[in-house]
Amino acid sequence: MTILNRLEQWRDQGVISPEQHARLEGLSRGEPFSLFLELNVLLYAGVLAFVAGLGWTVNTWSQQLGDILILVPLSALLAASFWYCFSRAPVWSPAETSSPNLLFDYVLYLGCLTWSVELAYVESRFHVLSGQSDLSVLVTAGLFFFLAYRFDNRFVLSLALSSLAGWFGLTISHWPSHQDDVYRQYAILYSLLTGAAGIALERCGLKRHFLGSYLNIAANVLFWAVLSGVFDQQGYGVWLLALLAACGGSLAWGLTRRQFSFVAYAALYGYIGISAILVRDIHSFTAGLSYFLFTGIAMVVILVQIARRFGKEA
Amino acid sequence: MRAYSASGEEALRARHLLKDWAGEGLLTEAQYQRMEQETVCEFRRTNIFLRLVLFLFTLLIVAAAVALFFVVVVPNSVRQNSGILLLVFAVVCYGAAEAAVSQARLYRYGIEEALALCSIGFLCAGMWGAFFGNGILDSRTSNRAESLVPAAGAIASLWISRRFGLPYAFLAAMIFAVWLTVYWTSSSSAQHVIVAAFYAAALVSIVAIRPRHRMTYLNQEYSIAEALLWLGIYVAINLQLSSFTQHGDWRSNAPIIGEFPIPFYWATFVLIWCLPPVVLARGLQQKDRLVIAVGAIAAVLTLATNKLYLGWQRHTWDPMLLGVLLTGIALLVRRRLDAAPDGVLRGFTAQRLSGNDKRWLNAGSSVFGVAAPQVIAASPQPDSPLFGGGDSGGGGATSDF
Repeated sequence: MTILNRLEQWRDQGVISPEQHARLEGLSRGEPFSLFLELNVLLYAGVLAFVAGLGWTVNTWSQQLGDILILVPLSALLAASFWYCFSRAPVWSPAETSSPNLLFDYVLYLGCLTWSVELAYVESRFHVLSGQSDLSVLVTAGLFFFLAYRFDNRFVLSLALSSLAGWFGLTISHWPSHQDDVYRQYAILYSLLTGAAGIALERCGLKRHFLGSYLNIAANVLFWAVLSGVFDQQGYGVWLLALLAACGGSLAWGLTRRQFSFVAYAALYGYIGISAILVRDIHSFTAGLSYFLFTGIAMVVILVQIARRFGKEA
Repeated sequence: MRAYSASGEEALRARHLLKDWAGEGLLTEAQYQRMEQETVCEFRRTNIFLRLVLFLFTLLIVAAAVALFFVVVVPNSVRQNSGILLLVFAVVCYGAAEAAVSQARLYRYGIEEALALCSIGFLCAGMWGAFFGNGILDSRTSNRAESLVPAAGAIASLWISRRFGLPYAFLAAMIFAVWLTVYWTSSSSAQHVIVAAFYAAALVSIVAIRPRHRMTYLNQEYSIAEALLWLGIYVAINLQLSSFTQHGDWRSNAPIIGEFPIPFYWATFVLIWCLPPVVLARGLQQKDRLVIAVGAIAAVLTLATNKLYLGWQRHTWDPMLLGVLLTGIALLVRRRLDAAPDGVLRGFTAQRLSGNDKRWLNAGSSVFGVAAPQVIAASPQPDSPLFGGGDSGGGGATSDF
């Protein structure tokens, strides 16, 4: 029985009204067909391509063009973007608010990315914050947090979180090369700070729907940092305890909040970390394979139990 | 042919639609509860995250079990015997996948998917070892005979795609088809033509079959298959893309025209301009989101590779022009749709009608908001490992001017 047959049946039984039937039948048939997602993707790709070209052009032609010809258009674009957003924004609310129009979020995103390009140019040319140039990243993060909360924009929140991570010395591209102790401590500090801030803001009722963005980033940074400690040849005991604590917390959070990405983090990162320590002392190939076989089965059994009990919804 | 009952899959589709409609306020809570009770399905499902983790652990178990068998039971097995044993493992894995579906009623659960995919891998590896492991065939005969391996892989992938409804198995079949052509001819042009012909033949079949299933649960699978085939045809005929995949470098302006016969090269140039509008028109006509997306991707790729094809110099502002073009198209389309009565023009609207769109956007904005600036600009200068040297403008931009 197709959905159309079912809708007819429900209409005949009086479960839905004829108007509802007409509406739902149309939606099932794709009438009308919404291009909402496609238009958003086009705008996002458009802004991204534009700013990529902007950065590339500034990077390549700054010597020939000179400061004025670089800074004036960048400043004009920046001012126009922010003017557009502030002049059209709805009244601020701590709850989730919709954008006034389709373009709004992407103009804001364009403004933020342009700010980054211009600030980097100014700093490299004039060394305004000479000696304290990290401050520019922190100021940028602060500005992006403000804009994200003012305009209820997840794109900009993600930019703010990555800028803050930049201030902590973290960039995704640097992960493989800096696995030293100090770096790890700052990564953990960053993840704890962002996680705690996300939870505190949610408790205060400020843009509660942002919590997922905070926690997913915080959890991944935390797990990467702790795992890097577990992989150390010496002094890994503390990191193993930290990993177990992080896995426990992630699992508990995922199950109580029904956010199964955190269950997945706990399972994968936990398994990799514990296996790294246990396999280290296994020198027989057969024993190693047996380890993976039996622990793999155990993990599947546990996860199936979790899925049965908590994670039925697809 | 299908491992799952049609009624079960239809019920599942109805449940998803009901949930979406209830979330959008098109149904009251009481209506939703009542209707949901009538769409109970027997499948055992889970959410996407647990599905992924279960998939990975099942792969681990199968790999460890097979390796352990070879180490413990047949440590000094010759290649041919190992191949035969791998064929046995392929059968075992496939049987286990079938049992997981028929006995445990698993549906998109990760476990049965991993088992089914392992059976394809073992089938190919087993055939290789069993039939070509002893090296008794001369190189020419061997080359032709070895094409049986990707052929078997393609057939098995198609079967599993159909039997279990796994779209990525269909993608695997398409990749096997590319592999197959390597054995048939050494001519690069011929390989491109054969691959495109394979995909075109499959596309014709799907286009012919699909209308019968337009309102059934199978429509989504046909949609994915059709989109993949359109994309495959485009990638096969865009010689600059295949050059990129071979050399891994798109920055050089050197045209690859010398690597292909000139008529063939320019024929593909014409085709990469003709194909995107055709795909877009087909997607819009069918109101098929995935086919529309492939049409848009193909159009962007055509614009991006056009200068490479012509051997023209590229400029730093080209991406800016592309960005303006994409934004302009989006705004123009939205304006036309909004100006129409009720915001609906020829059956299309710019309004959001499904909660899924919002969920996709939210997930995408969280992920791409972080990732995009890393793509836009180089990493901050690593003066200090703690603070990235402070040369960053934030949001991933750098002072590397």
